[in-house]
Amino acid sequence: MPAVSFPTIEFAAFFVVVFVLSWALMPHPRAWRPFILLASYVFYGWLDWRWVLLLVGSTLVNTFASHVIARSPSQATRKRALIAAVTFDLALLGVFKYLGFFVSEVDDALDSIGLGSPLPLLQIVLPIGISFFTFQAISYVVDVYRGETRAAPLGDVAILQAFFPHLVAGPIVRANELLPQLRTPRDPREVLAGPGLFLIVGGLIKKTVVADELARNVVDPVFNDPSAHSGLETLLAIYGFAAQIYCDFSGYTDMAIGLALLLGFQLPQNFNRPYLALSLQDFWRRWHMTLSRWLRDYLYIPLGGNRGGPRRTIRNLMLTMLLGGLWHGAAWTFVIWGGIHGGAMSIERWTREHFRGFHIPAWLAWLITFHVVCLAWIFFRSPDLSTAFDMIGQVFAGGPSPLVTLPMVFLVVATVGLQAVPGDFWERAEAWLVARPVVAQGVAIGLLMVAADAAVGQEGVAPFIYFQF
Amino acid sequence: MEPRSRNPLTMPAGSVLGVIMIALTVAALFNSEAIVRAGESMQPGHTRDVVLSVGRPLDDVAGAIGLHLPRKGFDLAFGQESKTATGTELEQGSTAILRANRRKRRAPGFIQPTQQDEVNVFVTGDSQAQFVGEILTDLLPSDLFDVSVVARNATGLTNPEFFNWEINAQQEIAARNPDAVVMVMGGNDGFNVLHEGTVYGPDDPNWQLEYARRAAVVMRELGSNGKRPVYWVPPPTARDPKFNEIYATQNKAVEQAAAAVDGARYVDIYNTINQGRYSDELKIDGRRVLARQSDGVHFSREGAVVPARLILRAMAKDYRVLRADASG
Repeated sequence: MPAVSFPTIEFAAFFVVVFVLSWALMPHPRAWRPFILLASYVFYGWLDWRWVLLLVGSTLVNTFASHVIARSPSQATRKRALIAAVTFDLALLGVFKYLGFFVSEVDDALDSIGLGSPLPLLQIVLPIGISFFTFQAISYVVDVYRGETRAAPLGDVAILQAFFPHLVAGPIVRANELLPQLRTPRDPREVLAGPGLFLIVGGLIKKTVVADELARNVVDPVFNDPSAHSGLETLLAIYGFAAQIYCDFSGYTDMAIGLALLLGFQLPQNFNRPYLALSLQDFWRRWHMTLSRWLRDYLYIPLGGNRGGPRRTIRNLMLTMLLGGLWHGAAWTFVIWGGIHGGAMSIERWTREHFRGFHIPAWLAWLITFHVVCLAWIFFRSPDLSTAFDMIGQVFAGGPSPLVTLPMVFLVVATVGLQAVPGDFWERAEAWLVARPVVAQGVAIGLLMVAADAAVGQEGVAPFIYFQF
Repeated sequence: MEPRSRNPLTMPAGSVLGVIMIALTVAALFNSEAIVRAGESMQPGHTRDVVLSVGRPLDDVAGAIGLHLPRKGFDLAFGQESKTATGTELEQGSTAILRANRRKRRAPGFIQPTQQDEVNVFVTGDSQAQFVGEILTDLLPSDLFDVSVVARNATGLTNPEFFNWEINAQQEIAARNPDAVVMVMGGNDGFNVLHEGTVYGPDDPNWQLEYARRAAVVMRELGSNGKRPVYWVPPPTARDPKFNEIYATQNKAVEQAAAAVDGARYVDIYNTINQGRYSDELKIDGRRVLARQSDGVHFSREGAVVPARLILRAMAKDYRVLRADASG
């Protein structure tokens, strides 16, 4: 998956060219805007140019709808335009992401009641990043409707949706976060290089040294054949997947945020040390923060949030998390993943309301939260439900454990342990890096890139997990 | 001169460009072998040509002045072994290996699995091996067969500069000593090959001969000269007629190689699945399923049941305990 994946030679060459031209054209917004848009479309269309047409179509429809909403004095017209745009966005997602699954399920159902198999099975290619740019489009048009942002010109909306650092796997950016930045030329004397370079190199290391190593040596072998592995290996694979998916996904978004910073733009934070969470609610404030805020603002609150009493609150929580699960794909494993999170958050809420004075120690709250998250990850990672239940059953199995090695245990412990390092430590490290001479910075980063490539070896960097969503 | 930045985390864009260029230059010089390898892993085209035309001279220079050493140190630290080499039989050797082996006619006597002593099956190959291996793991009785799956994406026999399957086979067999090997391989093999000093494309009969020779070399390594069975599974039909032609040639070549190497078995999924006609969907246990992925080459996880059952059927000829499963 070249070009759309950051750790590739093609992307490095692409980024150097874009970096130079972007800063060169920055003082001339009329030239810079078409340039950055074209660069983003080249990035996205590298694998399949038809995907760009889809993205352009989404931009045109949502821009048109936002202008109707902004200009129409009639509330009914505004509402109709909003409904039309959101329906279009969801239909796009539905066709590419769920139609194949839906047709196949209906076909099976018809077959089971003796009506044969009348429906054609559909081979639909899922365009990379469609879930992300669709959610972003919905967010924009709803924000215009709510008056939280002004309807922007077509070019700005196109850049908002297609800006290549966040296009493929987020963060999901809201209009009022990026549009104001697009309207003000960035200052080339004040590039936030410290966090930018740190995030890019850190993200690369998270992906190559931790995520891919754990996947190759523990997680994939055990999830592929749980019954052939001992309880210890199964446990390590479960914890290992928790570390893998964090390093894989946060590694990608770290790189995305870092690349945007080098171009002068700040994207929202997407992860904030999630495995330190002391409750599921806390976890969702720290994990995939831009998705959880999207679900909160555009689903949970419109459903009624916590305004309709405890029962309604629990219903809304469950619905939000189940749909959040389905957002990842049409599979029962994702539904159960969402269900576990929704159920656990509902229990937390119920417990808080019924045992107000009762507090459990922080270490116990952390332990429970972490293990509920890990339990849910089992379903998320398993190809089907039977594998997930096999994994759970296998935790209690005996037998030799050759996959439980010190380096793998260390990677899991380090992934969780490093999250406890205070944020200002990293900030000091970033300032220290930026204070070094340019040559020293370049050599150090270059050597770290060589080390990261050596970690993955000749098999190369595996595709990022969230590309499939 | 640009005024000094006030924020301790910021730098001027020019300095950032300097850092990026130095970092990329250092990475390219110390990692030139990886650049060449990345180029060799790409499909033929302009990007591959550009990467290789920059990477190869850079690699020559870097190698000559000893810049490969830090990377070798990192490789050692991460336990990476070289999967490629030069001067191997895979790249150049005699087609004598393809002469029919008389010993092959003898009935093989491979170790049969028991409850106390499972048969270790090693499933490997290119990306197609992943789902096929996973399904085979499900189909084989878990109390009698222990299956491990290692898929080496983007690899093949016609591009040993990128990944040398002869070397890899030696390393894997030494490390795992499996009782049986399943090799699912061939989807990335559209490259020209060098045969007796001449370059041949996949449409030339000499390409088939050279491919058969290379397959035989790897079969011999995987099977340790007949010590264990090697079930070699070349590609199925493909949606793209151009790929389809190459895959047909590969199937003939593998059949020829398997006939010559002790313990090697050709598993035909090209002609048997849907009578050799490509189709996105297949009927499995009376139910239509989307059997192929959107690229028109790879099996979907559900569709991988079909080739896995054909492998099971081939294995049943060597393992009596599977005969009921294979016929069922």
